[in-house]
Amino acid sequence: MTAVVVGLALVGVAAAVSVRWHLGIGRQLGTAAVRAVVQLLLVALVIGAIFEHTGAAGLFVLAMLLVAAWTASRRMAAVPYGLAVGLVSIGGAAAVTLTALFLADAFPFTPRYVIPTAGIVIGGAMSCVSLVGIRLADDLVDKRSDIEARLSLGASVRQALGPWSKRAVVSSLVPAMDQTKNVGLVSLPGAFVGMLLGGASPMEAAQVQLSVLLALLGTEALAAVLAVAGIVRLVTLPGERLRSLV
Amino acid sequence: MATHPRLRAESVALARGGTPILDGIDLDLHAASLTAVVGPSGAGKSTLLRCCNRLDDVDRGRVLLDGTDVRDLAPTGLRRRVGMVFQTPTLFPGTIRDNLTYAAPTAPDRVLRDGLDRAHLSPGLLDRPVEGLSGGEAQRVTIARALVAGPQVLLLDEPTAALDQDATAAIERLLRGLVDDHGLAVVLVTHDLAQTRRIADVAVLLVDGRVRHHGPPTDIGGVWAEAVR
Repeated sequence: MTAVVVGLALVGVAAAVSVRWHLGIGRQLGTAAVRAVVQLLLVALVIGAIFEHTGAAGLFVLAMLLVAAWTASRRMAAVPYGLAVGLVSIGGAAAVTLTALFLADAFPFTPRYVIPTAGIVIGGAMSCVSLVGIRLADDLVDKRSDIEARLSLGASVRQALGPWSKRAVVSSLVPAMDQTKNVGLVSLPGAFVGMLLGGASPMEAAQVQLSVLLALLGTEALAAVLAVAGIVRLVTLPGERLRSLV
Repeated sequence: MATHPRLRAESVALARGGTPILDGIDLDLHAASLTAVVGPSGAGKSTLLRCCNRLDDVDRGRVLLDGTDVRDLAPTGLRRRVGMVFQTPTLFPGTIRDNLTYAAPTAPDRVLRDGLDRAHLSPGLLDRPVEGLSGGEAQRVTIARALVAGPQVLLLDEPTAALDQDATAAIERLLRGLVDDHGLAVVLVTHDLAQTRRIADVAVLLVDGRVRHHGPPTDIGGVWAEAVR
């Protein structure tokens, strides 16, 4: 409990920085911290029961997906049907990764393994799709004159958005690429630490962590591409016209 | 002047958020003719241009290119036939060649150099980076870029509004050349009545989304003053 209090105190430091530098995110920091405390305590209370019921585990994963899609869609509020973009890109990418991992027998197909793995994969895809949404939605407004110049030269909307689509995908993958490049040097990810603390050997922990980490990179790349494809489709009007997002 | 219009607007209407922007526009634009569209801010001039190459779609009426509704043409092909140049020259990163080949990816050097020549730029500039071009040069590159796609109609939305007197004169000369020497239908949106009198064959005055005058540019000053009074 002391550790949680220390953590909250450090959030207070972040809030103080926000106030001092007029960042305007003090309220968001507070909300994020309170949500983390409440959500994790609730999960801690019910996770044991969920591990025992496959149906409940399925609903839990579905809830994870819905919350992730909703969170990502808020980052692209100007894009119509952003929730659908989030559901398809995060859900599609996570489904491919989880299916591949379980077909490869990387983990037993039981709630105890499915839920944490799905959490890691869906969480990574959510962060990536949020970054794609922020970047592309901004560029659709800021770069509209450049995009329309391209349309006026006979480009399709997909072609005209090409440079910004690529940039959105690349920038969304920077955190995952940095994490993968620096694993073991800068960061010791959660699965590795958790297994070590749980008594697994370092080699076993490294093996599991590697499968998650590499799969996560693939998941995020797939989610980013699906999100870009979805956004481009939703901002394309009949006649290769660009929907106004203002 | 050709008998059949290159581009025709028939009862064109468009509204945004319930506010009419274009309200029943009828207009013929001919090959080898320069039409200046003038009018106060918010009159619908730019929107009218955007309806001609389908950057915007009309709510009612239709726009015809050589007798075919533009909505029945492939949009990407339409926009090569009806080129458009904007007020702020937007050049893509790279060289002038990179910009021209965006519009005509398979065009040989001869076509690219011809495009520069028609835009009154030296063909020797083809491999020059776009960074460092003056505003007037940049605007002429955007015109050359539109020309290499082989348009029959060139739409220009206040292309000289941000340029100095010399650069404006250069653009005006090249536009006259495109009309007189190459037979293009050129449509120029402008706020500048003196420019309209200098280079236009026909002046169209739009006020509140309606055509208030369609005739010789020499009459435009008095008509505008009367229309907006």
